[in-house]
Amino acid sequence: MAKRRKNSDLGLIGYYALLIALSLVCLGPILLMLTTSLQLKTQIFDDKAHFLFMPTVSNYVAVFEQEHLARYLTNSLMVGLISTAVTLVVGCMAAYALVRFRFMGRDTVSVATLLLRMVPPAVLVVPVFMIWTYDFDLSNTLSGVILVYIALNLPFVVWILQSFIEQVPNQLEEAARMDGANPLQTFFLVVLPVIRPGLAAAAIFTFRIAWNEFILALVLTNRFTRTMPVMVSLYITEHNIEWGQIMAVGTLIAIPPLIFTFIASKQIITGLTAGAVKG
Amino acid sequence: MVEIVLENVAKRFGPISVIEGLNLTMRDNEFTVLVGPSGCGKSTTLRMIAGLEDVSDGEIYINGKPVSHLEPKERDIAMVFQDYALYPHMNVARNMSFALRLAHYDRAEIARRIEQVADMLGIRELLGRKPRELSGGQRQRVAMGRALVRDASTFLFDEPLSNLDAKLRTQMRAELALMRQRIRKNMIYVTHDQIEAMTLGDRIIVMSKGKIMQAGTPEELFKRPANKFVAGFIGSPSMNFFDAELASNDGPLAVVGDGFSLGLPLDAAGRLKAHRGRPITIGIRPTAFQVVADGQSAENAIRAPVVVSEYIGSNSIVMSEIGHTQVTIDIGSDAPIAVGESVQVRVAPEAIYLFDPATERVL
Repeated sequence: MAKRRKNSDLGLIGYYALLIALSLVCLGPILLMLTTSLQLKTQIFDDKAHFLFMPTVSNYVAVFEQEHLARYLTNSLMVGLISTAVTLVVGCMAAYALVRFRFMGRDTVSVATLLLRMVPPAVLVVPVFMIWTYDFDLSNTLSGVILVYIALNLPFVVWILQSFIEQVPNQLEEAARMDGANPLQTFFLVVLPVIRPGLAAAAIFTFRIAWNEFILALVLTNRFTRTMPVMVSLYITEHNIEWGQIMAVGTLIAIPPLIFTFIASKQIITGLTAGAVKG
Repeated sequence: MVEIVLENVAKRFGPISVIEGLNLTMRDNEFTVLVGPSGCGKSTTLRMIAGLEDVSDGEIYINGKPVSHLEPKERDIAMVFQDYALYPHMNVARNMSFALRLAHYDRAEIARRIEQVADMLGIRELLGRKPRELSGGQRQRVAMGRALVRDASTFLFDEPLSNLDAKLRTQMRAELALMRQRIRKNMIYVTHDQIEAMTLGDRIIVMSKGKIMQAGTPEELFKRPANKFVAGFIGSPSMNFFDAELASNDGPLAVVGDGFSLGLPLDAAGRLKAHRGRPITIGIRPTAFQVVADGQSAENAIRAPVVVSEYIGSNSIVMSEIGHTQVTIDIGSDAPIAVGESVQVRVAPEAIYLFDPATERVL
């Protein structure tokens, strides 16, 4: 009995050690970013590490004094929100069609959506740049960036929503049909509200990618249409690397996705379909 | 005045034929029950009437109008689903008003109807709740309420009670019967439970393997089954069947089997003429056996050893073996019967059903 107790104690210690190690891995860089953003250049470049220091907001002041900050922030918000909205609307309809309708090539399309997701964005940079610039005339526009993000996120959204739609009982849709709902009404009034947790998860995912994406945005934008991640790269000049300001912008960039995630995750209530049908 | 007619209706899923040439007329204000074992096509038939399933062949008429190409909403039909199918994101009131809102009824009318139906079903205090906050019986009631507010001409029920526990099922069955008295509408009810069928139906359609075995009132089905399937399906515990032989022409009119010989009513002689001296299947209901006191000799008596005895109180269900056939006997006595004893039972000649072993039709 005592031995068993000891074993479980050991297990518990190991368990917590693992948790602490994992959270250090996660939180360490954020902590480093936050502290660096609050230090002066002399402290940042000092040989000794400063765990205790007098925080300064001078980096943030410098960032806010950057004349284009508001524009880049607006760009980022527009790109993030619009591409998320369009991806969700198109994605949920595509997913619904893939789950509920029988048509030729259905399974191929279903698998292909996931395969597309496996292409790393960096591979797309050159072809997208060429096509956007010479064929579509979309380079340096926000629409161009939004379009590429939609294409990038759509496969995953379709894939994740498929599994949610599969769980919507068929009887629910039949009940709506008996109640006189046409297919669109069934979809928007019955199916969509039921898969709201899936939509929220997909929205968080899509918004985060669109908000944080750097390499495609760097290539496809100019000084008017830059997004926030691209703005960070401006602090690396031939003379200097402004680590303090880079970290300050990094900290600021992290805030909107956090807010978005908190709002969206409120929608993720497990067991939303509970009570619809038995078992 | 709403009459539903199915004419030569067939349903095929690819190469598999589920229903073949179904002909059926449901008269106005009739409570029709489709009953049969699972896979007999009763639910498919209901879904074709509802419009959720295409008709492969034949035609369905509602009030003389062919409807098989119409959408469910154009058929003026409401349906209660087996798994309730309540919209989980709407509260009870909104669940019930969904159809009315889609049809753009005005608010006052919607409120009036919901109140009326909620009062009738006793779910008024539940109107603000979500389906997940309801018990099984309450969900069932809401599902019925959702159908009732629509005031459709026909109501379809797809095994509405099969998900409830035994006690609740009995209670809801009684409530349904009560509701039935108040609402004079066409109702078509699908169940695999013959007791539900018997207690609720004005007319029962017994189905098996996509075909109608017999249609009739509960009493007709019980007293005059058309074939062996209906005889075995209707009645609980179900009818006992024995293989036997009809005595040849020179003997008395009797059936002889393994371990028994039973006399038949004399007026049956005419219709049995062709079967004289040939194998025959006989059916006896468990309740048709009457216990005869030991030592007393009686006509048509069989000695039945008790293999299993289920004492219920007012009666005992006894499993016995006569010859090599397992037999269920319902003994209407409140005295328990011990296993290993044997009872002497007699069967009235009129209570013996005779079936053609080849066609399984009643003789």
